[in-house]
Amino acid sequence: MILTHRKRRSTGDVLFQVMVAALCVLIFLIVAYPLYFVVIASVSDQSLVSTGQVTLYPKHISFFGYQEIFKDARIWTGYKNTIIYTVLGTAVNLLFTLPAAYVLSRKEFRARRFIMFAFVVTLFFNGGLIPTYLLMKQLHLTNSMWVFIIPFSVNVYNLIIARSFFEHSIPKELHEAASMDGCSHFTFFVKIALPLSKAVVSVIALYYLVAHWNDFFTGLIYIQSNSLQPLQIVLRDILLSNQVFSSGAGSGGAAGGYAQQYADQVKYAVIIVSTLPILMVYPFIQKYFEKGVMIGSVKG
Amino acid sequence: MISRSGPKYKKAAALPKARKQTVLNTFRRDHQLWIMIFPAIVVIFIFNYIPMYGIQLAFRDYSFTKGLTGGEWRGLFYFRQFFENYMFVDLMKNTVVISVATIVLSFPAPIILALLINQVRLKRAKKTLQTTVYLPHFISTVVMVGLLSVLLSPNSGIIGHLLQWFGLGDVNLLGSTKTFVPVYVLSEIWQHGGWNSIIYLAALSTVDPQLYDSAKMDGASRWQTIRYVDIPALVPTIIILFVLSMGSVLGTGFEKVFLMQNPLNLPVSEVIATYVYKIGIISSQFSYSAAIGLFNTVINFIFLFIMNMIAKRFSDISLW
Amino acid sequence: MKKILASVLALALGTSLLAGCSSGGNEPEEPTAQGGKVKLKAIMTKHPLTQKFENMKWLQDAEEKAGVDIEWQEVSADWDQKKGAMLASEDIPDLIVGVNSITDSDFAQFPGLFQDLSGMIDQYAPNVKAMFDAKPETKIIATQQDGKIYGLPKYQRFWPDTATRQFINKDWLDRLGLQMPMTWDELFDVLKAFKDKDANGNGDPNDEIPMDFAPTGTVAFGYFMPTVLLGSEGITLSDGSGSGYFVEDGQVKNFFIDDRYKELVKFLNKCFSAGLINPEVFTQDYTKYQSVARGKGNTASVGFTWGWEVTDRFGNAVSPQYTAMAPLKFTADSTVQQSWSYDYNTLNYGVNTVQMSAASKHKEAAMKFINELYNPEVSMQVLFGSLGTNIKDNGDGSFAVLPPQDQAMDPGTWKWTSTWADNGPMYIADSLKLTLGTDMQSVGKQTEPMQKVLNSIDKDNDVFPNLFIKYSAADNSTMALANTAFVPMALAKWSQWITKGGVDKEWDAYVENCKKTGLLKNIEIMQKYYDDYKSKL
Repeated sequence: MILTHRKRRSTGDVLFQVMVAALCVLIFLIVAYPLYFVVIASVSDQSLVSTGQVTLYPKHISFFGYQEIFKDARIWTGYKNTIIYTVLGTAVNLLFTLPAAYVLSRKEFRARRFIMFAFVVTLFFNGGLIPTYLLMKQLHLTNSMWVFIIPFSVNVYNLIIARSFFEHSIPKELHEAASMDGCSHFTFFVKIALPLSKAVVSVIALYYLVAHWNDFFTGLIYIQSNSLQPLQIVLRDILLSNQVFSSGAGSGGAAGGYAQQYADQVKYAVIIVSTLPILMVYPFIQKYFEKGVMIGSVKG
Repeated sequence: MISRSGPKYKKAAALPKARKQTVLNTFRRDHQLWIMIFPAIVVIFIFNYIPMYGIQLAFRDYSFTKGLTGGEWRGLFYFRQFFENYMFVDLMKNTVVISVATIVLSFPAPIILALLINQVRLKRAKKTLQTTVYLPHFISTVVMVGLLSVLLSPNSGIIGHLLQWFGLGDVNLLGSTKTFVPVYVLSEIWQHGGWNSIIYLAALSTVDPQLYDSAKMDGASRWQTIRYVDIPALVPTIIILFVLSMGSVLGTGFEKVFLMQNPLNLPVSEVIATYVYKIGIISSQFSYSAAIGLFNTVINFIFLFIMNMIAKRFSDISLW
Repeated sequence: MKKILASVLALALGTSLLAGCSSGGNEPEEPTAQGGKVKLKAIMTKHPLTQKFENMKWLQDAEEKAGVDIEWQEVSADWDQKKGAMLASEDIPDLIVGVNSITDSDFAQFPGLFQDLSGMIDQYAPNVKAMFDAKPETKIIATQQDGKIYGLPKYQRFWPDTATRQFINKDWLDRLGLQMPMTWDELFDVLKAFKDKDANGNGDPNDEIPMDFAPTGTVAFGYFMPTVLLGSEGITLSDGSGSGYFVEDGQVKNFFIDDRYKELVKFLNKCFSAGLINPEVFTQDYTKYQSVARGKGNTASVGFTWGWEVTDRFGNAVSPQYTAMAPLKFTADSTVQQSWSYDYNTLNYGVNTVQMSAASKHKEAAMKFINELYNPEVSMQVLFGSLGTNIKDNGDGSFAVLPPQDQAMDPGTWKWTSTWADNGPMYIADSLKLTLGTDMQSVGKQTEPMQKVLNSIDKDNDVFPNLFIKYSAADNSTMALANTAFVPMALAKWSQWITKGGVDKEWDAYVENCKKTGLLKNIEIMQKYYDDYKSKL
């Protein structure tokens, strides 16, 4: 932005700029059209959608999908629960993950390789659903909101990313200088490492946030009470998510045939209903990707 | 307090009189670090390590009354059942083809996208593009596959029509053994490329703006700036993520492949995950699916391990 | 270990104070008697469109009458995943409701988890007893190999002998001056005319789809698929014969390795090569299959196809153009006894519709509630909805299903939104006087053209009694493994041969392959159980 000095542009750079613009427009169109299609499909007649007659604008507009979703009172409880789980869960995630990532980025920490290895192993090996369920039950986490927050609050994948950032984007001299000043690890982490890593902190926060937001599995397996169910469970119940899974789709006596067209409209509406809130959060996170954040904070 | 840490300290370690550093004799010095990592260790130990006794299910029969650890010991019986399976070779081949194609082709996409977005100078255009490309990530798999079948239909889909325009109208993208993998991989890139670019954008944001200024002063072209400033800033992230992606050589997701399956593409689309699911519909085979799962895991882990070793040898960047 | 956990929880609770949230992890309370009513917990696997249970009047009445107050968990997605964890950890509610929500192999795999009801029925469930007495087959399908009864079945009486009806566009036939086809060859000629001429009369001779059928999928055959044509060659499908097994003169066979199946594939390949079958037939999903047949406005798109009922299949606009047709003969001079898919059992009976936890503290009360559901007058409301809103009481002991209150909705969907419908436990006694809704009446009417063939099926020797046979866990597992190995492979060949041909060349090798995967062993197992079943009749 400020860096581009318009007057002294070489032809190569102009060509480059044109290419960038053209590519961006192309990518934008390729990505945006199907998204737009989801929006118009959510308010169109499903027979027309599936036979390819809805392309540029909605046809036979009906809000059946949205009505079906919002007439279910559980949707509001679902929203409320999901917001609580997401905010609280992400806070706990960050609280547990970031300090650990910082520690594992410190070369002098002797147990680092062993712990890292032990953590990575869990990315692959796990005991399966049944022992995990039994454990949750013993810990009295089943049918409780804490099952969304405490277990698996450290995602090793995110931990690795955060560690890699701490390792490579914080100049080594900084810590040296800080420790000369008698700065402890606690202070260095909070006062220097974190402010310098706003970009990665916001990425990790976004990863956790979205994972909590989209998590239906925890609710499905561990929650019995309707009042604790998150949004995604409510939506999945409305959506005929397993319609295609049922053998022989419209088995005569069963609901398949009749209810299909109603169900299809719901599936597009569900995407909109569940994604809009996340869409609103993104700009707040995006601003931390701006360039120059780092230097500003070091100097400041 | 901990003034001995840091690069300066390393030099000290090289001196012959320094004692070998062990966890124990550095504990006092590093106790703050131990406090900071303690919650993570506890959580991972409890929720990941305690249930691991369940792995033995792959070597035992499942017995409800005697518990997970009480069923009859079958050794490698269930593994052998899988290896000797009529479909084993095809399943392995299909799984590897799909996941390797996905890794190889969809890995560079977010990197290129991030570099591209980083070049956009108009603030508003940049934000719009960034927000748009990350949105498809939120489309559920069911709807994603639904979209594919509507848009790619040779008779009525918009992409089907485009293909006819180019004289490729006879190709049914959804029902051919040749097009299954390309459609799968391209739609993966479409759906997750933008989302995956976020981490690279974050990495690019840490580049010191002074570097751009000096590149400019040295008369570097835009292209050269990307080559010598941007890409080096991404390298550590690229290596780490690539090593991690190697851990999914046998890790095709279940849902999308299953939903995209039809009898015409089945010869290339039957993968381990869908096979396990199909056995499960008819009768629950706890031990058999546990054995197949463990086999998958071990192979994936071996690949990750090797890749990590290579990365460590050549770049000094490694997971552990 | 406890200490560690306590500290983790303390940390978490600390953060919860920040968020100002106070709801904690309470254990579900013991169900207790309240105001004379017994509190029960129950799970039901319902259809996503089905309304909240608290709004179902008949259910409230039934609970009231049984003196129970049930806290329902209504599940309409991902049941299998949820079930696995629930059963393995013994975390089940007093009642689990829903057709085959718990399977026979679950009973075998989780012994002791479910209550054996056989001893309780006489004492607490006279309605269930009445069903067992009047319809002894319901007792057979409820009884496990060891003689115990863990899940109770349903009997819904009114459903037809087959799920698949055959439709042809009569307007197109008339417009082109064609006769109703009676044989495969005549069908081919008719379809050819549909294809070549402007059958729907909209001026475009190229927008007709002469023939379409339901997407085959990759797991098994289902309804509305051309496998019903095997009937022309004398094969009687049983409940759709998804994995190919059928019975002929008391012999269990599998059509996937039968030469008559090869004939069918050749015929369909001939049709496909001539452009008579929808080119997307193997790639479209069920939604599209249904939507395409709805045509554009009043112009129909499809000539010949299969479906459940004409308005369900074609929509209100074009369905009057279609007529149900009789099964086709293989050739004009064929002497083969014609047949079709016989699905009466699977359409009218269902296994394991309700089961009780062996750990329930209120078994009597739960059984009383179950008994209420099997009262035929309650059962009819389980199926069609509450008296007053969905069913009319004629006052003379007879009842009639009312048309949907929501004008825009068809009777089928209306039923599913109002009540448990086909997913519930029920006993629709043969003595119950109930007039059906328009949808079921027209299903009946559209079955008429094939009724003669259906009636001529020898139910004792040519129908495999899927529902009435209980396999041992080991046999079940053997069969599952073999079927998963060969059916997907066979379905892939099926679609490949139809679209690209080559069946003649590959047939022998293919049959060998099928046999290698354990198909013959499966036939052997099924024959053993079938003979055993017949010997007890």
